Amino acid sequence: MTALDDTVAGTYRLLIIDDEAIVGIRLAHTFTKMGYKVTTHTDPAQALAEVERQPFDVVVTDLKMEGIDGMEILRRVKKINPSTRVIMITGYAGNDTADTAFREGAFDFITKPFSLDEIKNAILRSFAAPAQERGEKK
Amino acid sequence: MHPLLLKIARFFGRADHNSGVDPRLILERFRLVLRSNNRAMEIIADLGEKLSGNYIFDSQYIHDNIKDLINTLHDSVEALNNLDARHRELYPVLTRLTEHIHAVMRHKDDRQGPRILPLEEISPLHWGIVGGKNAHLAEIIHHLKLDIPPGFAITTRTYHELIDHNGLRPLVDRYESLWAETDNTDELENLRYRLASALTTTESPPGLMTELEEHLTDLISVTDGPCALAVRSSAPEEDLDFSFAGQFLSRLNVPPEPAAVFAAYRDVAASIFSRRAIDYRRWLFPEDGHMSIGVGCQLMIDSRVSGVAYTTDPGNPGDETMIIVGTWGQGAGIVEGEFPGDTFMLSKDNPPTIDTCQISRKDSALYLADDDGLEERNLTPELRQTPCLNEAQLVELGQRVLQLENYFKRPQDIEWTFDRRGRLFILQSRPLLVPVTRELRRDLAESIKQYEVLVSDLGQVAQQGIGAGPVHVVRQDTDLDDFPDGAILVGRRDSSHFARVMHRAAAIVTEIGTPVSHMATLCREMKVPSLVNVPGILDLVENGRDITVDAEDRRIFRGRVKELMAYQLSTSVNLEVTREFRLLRQLLNSITRLHLVDPLMDQFTPDRCRTYHDLLRYIHESAVMTLVNMGKDERSLLRNNTARHLDLPIPAGILVIDIGGGVAPKTPADRVPFAALTSIPFRAILNGMLYPGIWHRATMPVGFHDLMSSMLSVPTDALEGQYTGHNIAVISHNYVNLCFRFGYHFNIIDARCDERERDNHIYFRFLGGATDLSKRRRRVRLIAEILTAFDFNVRTRGDLVIARAGNMPRSEMERILDILGRLVGFTRQLDVRLDSETAVDYYIEAFLSGNYDVVSS
Repeated sequence: MTALDDTVAGTYRLLIIDDEAIVGIRLAHTFTKMGYKVTTHTDPAQALAEVERQPFDVVVTDLKMEGIDGMEILRRVKKINPSTRVIMITGYAGNDTADTAFREGAFDFITKPFSLDEIKNAILRSFAAPAQERGEKK
Repeated sequence: MHPLLLKIARFFGRADHNSGVDPRLILERFRLVLRSNNRAMEIIADLGEKLSGNYIFDSQYIHDNIKDLINTLHDSVEALNNLDARHRELYPVLTRLTEHIHAVMRHKDDRQGPRILPLEEISPLHWGIVGGKNAHLAEIIHHLKLDIPPGFAITTRTYHELIDHNGLRPLVDRYESLWAETDNTDELENLRYRLASALTTTESPPGLMTELEEHLTDLISVTDGPCALAVRSSAPEEDLDFSFAGQFLSRLNVPPEPAAVFAAYRDVAASIFSRRAIDYRRWLFPEDGHMSIGVGCQLMIDSRVSGVAYTTDPGNPGDETMIIVGTWGQGAGIVEGEFPGDTFMLSKDNPPTIDTCQISRKDSALYLADDDGLEERNLTPELRQTPCLNEAQLVELGQRVLQLENYFKRPQDIEWTFDRRGRLFILQSRPLLVPVTRELRRDLAESIKQYEVLVSDLGQVAQQGIGAGPVHVVRQDTDLDDFPDGAILVGRRDSSHFARVMHRAAAIVTEIGTPVSHMATLCREMKVPSLVNVPGILDLVENGRDITVDAEDRRIFRGRVKELMAYQLSTSVNLEVTREFRLLRQLLNSITRLHLVDPLMDQFTPDRCRTYHDLLRYIHESAVMTLVNMGKDERSLLRNNTARHLDLPIPAGILVIDIGGGVAPKTPADRVPFAALTSIPFRAILNGMLYPGIWHRATMPVGFHDLMSSMLSVPTDALEGQYTGHNIAVISHNYVNLCFRFGYHFNIIDARCDERERDNHIYFRFLGGATDLSKRRRRVRLIAEILTAFDFNVRTRGDLVIARAGNMPRSEMERILDILGRLVGFTRQLDVRLDSETAVDYYIEAFLSGNYDVVSS
């Protein structure tokens, strides 16, 4: 699956990474409607290349993916741009990686199944979060 | 014994199993049934809610919850047998249903069910075995009543039998196991080729030809001349965004003989292994090599004109325009893009208006050949330049096209035809992909700001989506009678009664409701955008005025937000492309559908349970009946429990048995004043009975015939003295079982009223009366219509009324029980006055408008 057209103007830039295409399609639909500029990737390697190319305000990433996993995405994104807020998505079974993710600088950790309101709220909170919580302000 | 006496005796028959058992114990066991039933319903509701489009979930979630559900159902069956041990037969029922669920989980459910099914008999339970195209046609037949060529579906079970019977299973298994591996392409291609050729020469499984012959005979019997069949693919995935358009083979104009149809069927089935279908599938489902195919066999229409319609212009989804392309004869040439056609653009108004016509030169067209297949014939010079559709046909077709888009809630790609007599048939309707334009996406958030917002961030999403249309306020069931196509239903409370107009509604909004109600389930089935729990919406909208409901962001706008509708049409997300979503939908089709609706009918038996929901319903109903019967056993109750007289300002003569928290502590041992009652549902009923003007004291003029009738009906010895003495209320803090006789009729009200909506039920029974049968029947109609107006599920048989309601918040329960109390008082001796049907209408109207004095005046 290719990246969604990213030439749309908007206040905030969002990157969504999940190897299940539906997550990107679903979230892009919701956040584009809210006026954000949304890019989606199902291939984590391509997504990281995208992060190198342009800054994002928020990255939403699945934790378990083939190749590069969510924790790796988190570390790399934080290294490239510390002010980017990263929201992690994890499977229904859940596990104790939440603590590690928070230590590595994740802004939030959401477990499937989740409602669109939950992720919307997480993203809105991340926009409103104080500068120190989301790293250096751009 | 007189038949009526028998009926009354049965009505008040003793509950032999629990006779003499402490009502506290019965209630406690009942609570345990409720608890596990509730747990099961919660799991089902939770699973169902995930299909609303508002959630993202994974397969682990499905597996864990299904396991939990199976265990909980076992608990329910166990709990019911503890309450009443006569329900052992439910164990094998549970085993049967659970085996099916396991088959669905293992993706083996497409090997079950009938081999051949007439299109009109296809229900959502069959969606997994008939394929997407057939399923859509069945929906069009059931909900839209449009003309579809008659026919039947050959299911995926037949496909699997074909594979097994011809020894092809090892090849198929190997093929599926290699599917996801990318380094075995040579072996995979080799297998594909072998399967594709082998399938075209397979032998029919035993018994199939006989079944085929029977269905062909039935089909031919509805035609009045020579006929032939169209045999088309209907793969399970064909209802997805990815339409599989043109990927599989079709055989047209096939003679209606078993051998010819089977040969055509084999060719179509083999086409799932065709090179192009496999390439397309690999692109769609790189991980999922499990394949099967359903096939549709329909009568071939001898077409005058045919073509394709797009319900939305993919180039300009915001334009609210549809496109119709047609040509003379059969439409195959248009579909394949081989023949030029006339193109018409119509507005999406109702009725549609023609915006532009582009007429092509049509030199030739396809018609049914004499033997089989189609043949190209040259057209007369006159026909070549003539538009293939006239204005009336375009408007008729345009209206059907609008109906289809409104029903499927997304743009559709429709194949249609007019036969030689000018009758319009829909041949197929599948999703149309409309790409979202860059401008639309960029400007959307900004352009929405110009619209007035009526509601923002209120309510709960029962089904996602966006709908626009005129408001149609529904305050009572009769308001549904004139529900316009494409309107937005705005009501006070969610109700499963809306089902009859749901397929025509653009959206539904209610002031009270829950995303786990029956209505919400139906909305999800029909994909009707729906917001519930939106307080005050009835005051904000006006009948007939347009609004736009955004049941994604929980907003309601005044007017039609065209930008939002265009965005919706072009991006409506089809979650069904994910394997998890399809699995969950398939599971829920086998879990949530309710077939045991009517406890009065003979079909309300364990062996008729087809889903877990049926089983839960049966368990609940059986458990409630055990409670209901508890109150009938008057002598045992009075012998074993302390009964106290209830002091009321009306002569109702009720004895109260408190089994826990129904009466305030320190109440006198012999009498209970009304003020000391702490039973929530009982107080609500009594409040209604005590409502000013309800307890009319006027003596009814009973006629001689009525008097004779009543004397014949209820001789006291026939009932062995039961129910001639006392009216008994068994109560607890949240429960009442009230068995009583006023005048010559018998009532049972069994109600539970708690903080949890799902725990709440009202069971109401009414039988008999002092007057002759016609008057009693009139009173039955009166009671039934009034209860229906208050959303009760009502059944009547002769002079018996049974009504059920439930799943309501406590406040609503109290309101409805109060109404029930008023109704009991109001109708106490009313049958005497019901001389005519007009009188019935008069008293119904009086009751519904709160004009209770008419009885005593």
